[in-house]
Amino acid sequence: MDYEFIKSRLHLYAVLQNIEDLVQYDDVAKNLIKDWNIIVKFSVRKAGSVYLIFENGKCTVRELSPKKPDVILFFTSPAHLNKMFDGKANPIPLKGITKLGFLTKKFPKLTERLEYYLKPDEQKLKDKNYVTINTVMTLNTALYALKELLLFDPIGEHAAKKVKGSMVMMNVNKGPAAYIEQKGNTFEVHKGYAQQPLAVLEFTSIKIANDFLNGKMDAFSAIASGAVATKGHIEWLDAVSPVLDRVALYLS
Amino acid sequence: MKVEAKGIKYSVSSKSKSKTYTYTKSQKLFQRALKVIPCGIPGHFSPAPFVPPTMYPFYAERSKGSHFWDIDGNEFIDYMCAYGPIVLGYNHPQVEKAAQEQNSKGNCMTAPGKIMVDLAEYLTDTIAMADWAFFAKNGGDVTNLAVMIARAATGRKKIVMIKGGYHGVAPWMQGYGHYGVIEEDVANIITIDWNNVKQFEEVIAANPGAIAGFIATPYHHPTFADSEFPADGYWQRIRELCTQHGIVLIIDDVRCGFRLDIRGSAEYFGFKPDLACYCKAIANGHPISALVGVDALKTVAAKVFYTGSYWYQAAPMAAALATLKELRRINAPVLLNKIGKKLFEGMKKICASYGYELKITGAYSMPFVRITNDPSNMLHQEWCAECTARGAYFTSHHNWFVCAAVSDKDIQKTWNIVDDVCKLLKKKYGDKY
Repeated sequence: MDYEFIKSRLHLYAVLQNIEDLVQYDDVAKNLIKDWNIIVKFSVRKAGSVYLIFENGKCTVRELSPKKPDVILFFTSPAHLNKMFDGKANPIPLKGITKLGFLTKKFPKLTERLEYYLKPDEQKLKDKNYVTINTVMTLNTALYALKELLLFDPIGEHAAKKVKGSMVMMNVNKGPAAYIEQKGNTFEVHKGYAQQPLAVLEFTSIKIANDFLNGKMDAFSAIASGAVATKGHIEWLDAVSPVLDRVALYLS
Repeated sequence: MKVEAKGIKYSVSSKSKSKTYTYTKSQKLFQRALKVIPCGIPGHFSPAPFVPPTMYPFYAERSKGSHFWDIDGNEFIDYMCAYGPIVLGYNHPQVEKAAQEQNSKGNCMTAPGKIMVDLAEYLTDTIAMADWAFFAKNGGDVTNLAVMIARAATGRKKIVMIKGGYHGVAPWMQGYGHYGVIEEDVANIITIDWNNVKQFEEVIAANPGAIAGFIATPYHHPTFADSEFPADGYWQRIRELCTQHGIVLIIDDVRCGFRLDIRGSAEYFGFKPDLACYCKAIANGHPISALVGVDALKTVAAKVFYTGSYWYQAAPMAAALATLKELRRINAPVLLNKIGKKLFEGMKKICASYGYELKITGAYSMPFVRITNDPSNMLHQEWCAECTARGAYFTSHHNWFVCAAVSDKDIQKTWNIVDDVCKLLKKKYGDKY
């Protein structure tokens, strides 16, 4: 699979899902969407589609929707979507022309907020609350991106052969968690704690998790010093480690 | 070698209440190391696979017999034996004397010492299939040389190896996906499942006249998984196929060598490879490895240019000669497996008395040991860590090694530790597992 395709899958399935957490943890975002009752579909030719379902002050991001979308944002190619994420292109609204106000004024405010949390800098990282939200999003992004890379990236596909029957959980001690499990020919990602994880990568604190996930900490050193704990089938963690490192190749 | 054994007696001391170790100096030194050495301790000595690493020593200070002491002064009965090289026990007097004597005469010199010929003669006399010997430093040096010789001899490119098999750290050995390995590095490597002759036949059929060599360990001993012996007739069929199709049969006896059969592990399983690789136990901790081969490949081996700055060091050769003589004198493989059988079958019974199944696979001299009650391995990892922190050095990810210096006293102490830890885990988890 080519670079643009994989990158677009990461944008669709690993980045956009962060809106769920954004509107849960960030008061500004929460306030923005509190009255929204709308389903927005991102549809990318030859890559896939995703639904953002806003209702009752919450957002759920799904590949399938129980209802028809109110708005469809169409992208003619994976590269088109990627350009939009770089701020260099706009989607084609296929449905929801009557909701132009929503699309041009309200929705961009939400995506700006998402961008704020996904692009940390030293100043922002001085804010504890920011660090927490950024960590939750980075952790979730890592696992959702891992799924896509295991399915489509050449090194990921190779690693996928080594993690048959796997279930890997990443969590912060007494904090946020998510896990990925291999199911049939694909992988499923879930937010929250697994009941009986088979492999665990646990960060002792939010700060450690943030440094680790943002590539500021060497994995071996972090594990050996106890800042990051691994247990269970650590051979699976070994196998996916080079794949996780590739997330930055697509999203940095 | 059957892992089930009858008549093993064990006992545990009711007074035993082993204390757990602390590793303040190890941790402190590791912090210094992190500043100047990538990941502090790189490679297979990295603490990263220990669960948790904080319950293991990171740095050793000294060693003797079957024990080593870390820099915090903690003493361990060593069931990893430096990951295999220590076979007679640390600081074996005859081996050290031979090395020191040679060292005082000359070690790294402008020409090889006479000892190189002495060692080659003794090694080819010891290993049944060997007509010649070539010396290097590490196991990976000679597995790589074996592949080069196979390619030079056949004029072919492709090498067949076993999935999960370990032959060193050169890119072709590590496999695509590992850091620093590119697709082209493994373009001519074909991997098949262990014990699967049919797959080998299919690979031969799919690559007519293209396979230079087949490389595998005498039995399958991957990390993170149980060891597996060859099925009946496996090696004999592989030998037949290699002969029939002009494929060089390479045995990586680096880990098993001298722990199954003094004449080479191929003898143990009843077949004759074309090339066999040795390291680890060959010199009881001194740096040397060897590739041995059949006469038919000697001329080609001579043509392959392969060397290293320290490969002609005479002292490790003297150590290897002394080690091999001692291994033959005590018939080490038989002794090591006898010690291992007593130790591990006793441990099995202790664990069973707490409701834990201790599964032992591979040879008793280097088994993979695993508590099976928890499918996530976390119970097993905790058990290994708690035993280590009480003085019996166990790892959860790699096969263990037994050396000839393990005494009955060591075994008794190990059993006591195992009993203490099983008791602790049972108290902690009840009947959860």
